[in-house]
Amino acid sequence: MSTIDLLREAIRAKLPDLDMVLAWGGDDPLRASPLFIRTESDLENLAAPHLYVSNLAVNLYSLRSKKIGLVVKGCDSRSVIQLLKEGLIARPSLYIFGLPCEGVVDAAKINREIPDAGRATGLAVRSGRVMVQTPENEHILDLDAVLADRCLRCRYPNPLIYDQLIGEAIPVGEIPDLYQDLDEFEALSLDARHDFWMETMRRCVRCYACRNACPLCVCKAHCVADSREPHWLTLETNVSQKWFFQVLHSMHLAGRCTECGECERACPMGLPILLMRRKLNREIRELFGYEAGLDLMTTPPLSTFSIEEENIAEREL
Amino acid sequence: MRIGVFVCHCGTNIAGTVDCAAVAAAAQQFPEVVLAVDTPYACSEPGQRAIIEAIEQKGLNGVVVASCTPRMHEATFRRTVERAGLNRYMFEMANIREHVSWVGRDKKLNTFKATDLVRIAVEKLRYNRPLTAKSFAVNKRVLVIGAGVAGIQAALDCADGGLETIVVERTSTVGGKMAKLDKTFPTVDCSVCVLGPKMVDLAQHRKIKLYAMSEIADLSGYVGNFEVSIRRKATYVDWNKCTGCGLCADKCPSRKAPDHFNELVGRTTAISIPFPQAIPKKASIDASSCLHFLKDRCGVCAKVCPVEAIDFEQQDEVVKESVGAVVVATGFDLLDIRRFGQYGGGRFPDVVTSLQYERMLSASGPTGGHLKCPSDGREPKSVVFISCVGSRDRSMDRAICSGFCCMYTAKQAILTKSHVPDCETHVFYMDIRAPGKGYDEFIRRAQEEYRTNYVRGRVSSVYPKNGRLAVRGADTLLGTQTEVMADLVVLAVGAGAAEGSRDLAEKLRISYDAYGFFMESHPKLKPVETNTAGVFLAGACQGPKDIPASVAMGSAAAGKVMALFSKERLESDPQVAQVNAVRCVGCLKCLRTCPFGAIQEVQARDGSTKAQVIESVCQGCGVCTVTCTDRAIELQHFTDNQLLAEVNYLCRSWMEKSPA
Repeated sequence: MSTIDLLREAIRAKLPDLDMVLAWGGDDPLRASPLFIRTESDLENLAAPHLYVSNLAVNLYSLRSKKIGLVVKGCDSRSVIQLLKEGLIARPSLYIFGLPCEGVVDAAKINREIPDAGRATGLAVRSGRVMVQTPENEHILDLDAVLADRCLRCRYPNPLIYDQLIGEAIPVGEIPDLYQDLDEFEALSLDARHDFWMETMRRCVRCYACRNACPLCVCKAHCVADSREPHWLTLETNVSQKWFFQVLHSMHLAGRCTECGECERACPMGLPILLMRRKLNREIRELFGYEAGLDLMTTPPLSTFSIEEENIAEREL
Repeated sequence: MRIGVFVCHCGTNIAGTVDCAAVAAAAQQFPEVVLAVDTPYACSEPGQRAIIEAIEQKGLNGVVVASCTPRMHEATFRRTVERAGLNRYMFEMANIREHVSWVGRDKKLNTFKATDLVRIAVEKLRYNRPLTAKSFAVNKRVLVIGAGVAGIQAALDCADGGLETIVVERTSTVGGKMAKLDKTFPTVDCSVCVLGPKMVDLAQHRKIKLYAMSEIADLSGYVGNFEVSIRRKATYVDWNKCTGCGLCADKCPSRKAPDHFNELVGRTTAISIPFPQAIPKKASIDASSCLHFLKDRCGVCAKVCPVEAIDFEQQDEVVKESVGAVVVATGFDLLDIRRFGQYGGGRFPDVVTSLQYERMLSASGPTGGHLKCPSDGREPKSVVFISCVGSRDRSMDRAICSGFCCMYTAKQAILTKSHVPDCETHVFYMDIRAPGKGYDEFIRRAQEEYRTNYVRGRVSSVYPKNGRLAVRGADTLLGTQTEVMADLVVLAVGAGAAEGSRDLAEKLRISYDAYGFFMESHPKLKPVETNTAGVFLAGACQGPKDIPASVAMGSAAAGKVMALFSKERLESDPQVAQVNAVRCVGCLKCLRTCPFGAIQEVQARDGSTKAQVIESVCQGCGVCTVTCTDRAIELQHFTDNQLLAEVNYLCRSWMEKSPA
């Protein structure tokens, strides 16, 4: 049986015990949207695994009063672990279908490769190649060329938490340099980096899609971006307000962000805002030797208190 | 709001480098400011009266005083505005002395910065709300940790003042370091003879409960209501039955146990009573030397004990006590002699610490008060004392003076002569520090009457030569190298924090300095207080101290406790965290990060989990407010709005108003 059939049968078997199962579906051959499976007939809309781009864990906090089934890839599972660790959701009301993942395709990259991708009628992945069917042509692309960025540095293709694994765990490939992009960016001069962010933030339209797509962003209605009491941010659309929000968001995610990349993917302006989160994540790794969403048993460094930190020279400050 | 601004000259302290009149004139233009004046001394009586009159005449409902650090006078001015009928939290202070006039010389820039600081205070004040302190009952019992002379004095004074006093002592007897001393300077009277009566008083006082062989396992709560867990270490002897007859120690076949009371000079039995005047006079077993525990045989003590007090099955036991205040008097320990390899410390048996020498001089010590070289038991004919061993020595990161070594070295030189009249005594010293009453005269006696050879200079090495020890060093007064032959070398090893003091500090939530000594709240004006309310310091745990200073500090700490307990109820500081339940998502990160255990989990009416602050426990540190990603916890008097108002003013118009 193919992975999609295995998944469909697994969900069918558990559906009676659950209020709903979150998976991916829809008609677009290049993109799948979240699919809320409540009845067996919804299962017909299940999409193929290479399209399982979005991180469904973003819905868990608002659905925490329900009994939810959730399909997770390796990266998504880290968000689930982090939410559980922070006490934001409860394990008993969650059933996790773990899906070993070979990577998901980035529709934007396909669009860049194929001029008529907008009219695509089908997509199939076979042995490292992606076949895109359009009315006139069949395009064949290298899978690596159209994989989402985060898949290129994926270290956890297999879910780290699940109740049921769909198919077999896949071997972990060679782990690439995690922070090469950040190293390159930090090698730039201070002025160059400042100009980079000035330009990036100038383009921001302040739509908060990044915040809304973030699975760890749970303040929602009480977000500092919307709060008028206290009045953290004004409504001015200047760089300082937009930059301030991005820095706040990044700070709130320090030691919590699993680098799922949903913020950057959701950004309609294509701004490289994950870089800011990754910078803070690397700081947390270096200071506290901690990575978010790996182990249920560890305590996030910013959720605990220690008189003297090993890697912070408090006395010399 | 109607705000009044008072810009203090502090004589010339501020007015010397800040144009106070210009600051006041600028402040007059600030939002909601109805009065801005400069005043020579805001804290003086006329200064305070002017504030009160302005509040009454101008109908002010908020006051900013721009003067010194709030650490000095915030409480003063809060009382001032309170006397005029305002809530004491409708007051803000701008520090234009420590932050401006004392740190900058340029009058124009200083005036500019002072104006900014006043503006920030005004911006914050506009968001201030009246806060009211809550009151809570005080548990009028006191815990004294450590029963050296400072702890004994503190406990006796508290108990004599009518307070129930709990004393926790780590070793099996009270007395501390003083009980180990042979004689005390500058009177050369028997140490344990003067301390003994106090030890007896401590044991017999009806208000004092003594836990010997016990340590603090945990301390929670807050001033007035601490809960302390005391771990009573197993002694394997039922102290309720033990009469201290000493028969067990007489018969114990394991005679090679380390003798900690005698500073490891000589050996003792596995079951022992440390010294004849020990209080409580109870035996305890050193399990690491006892044949019963090592080889599962013997049991002689159990057979000979006339009251059947031996209990090999005894376990550590944790008891709980509730107290309202804590006096920490854990004293000091000498540095490890093995750190001083250049002097032969730990290598040559005839190189000893000053405290070991003290035991060798003592009639109740391992040599019965006869001076003998530890190596072969011969009587020393030359003793060399080396001062400042591990004190005032930057090469080992110890810049501190241990304070009492000069004096006890002179005393030991005198005692050496009285034990062995034909013994030479030499003292290598850097400076003589003898500022106490009768101290310098005492040093003179050692030099002149007892003919001690004082050599000003440091020793470079001690090495064996012809069966004796050669001490080589500089004589800086003669400008030469010098070498003295010694049978015995006594190192005045520096005083460090007592073993385990850092762990204790963390349990008590008090701070300690780079040497591990506990930090007082203010080096001059609050020498006995710590920054944790209700925890006081006594004796050498705060820094090296001689006996008179330790005793004085013990009494001072007791005085502080009694002043604290003179009130039936204490007021809690309203500047604490508060949870906005609507925003709280119940993740309880705040509960996990709170260093004071001041947050509890509660169920809201809809069944959801919420965090709640226990106001009397909260210290207002703000860790929870930065942990809460939802901004659901705010610190009262430091709310987001207040801080934002400050930052917004500073950042927003910086470009426009910069003087350059």
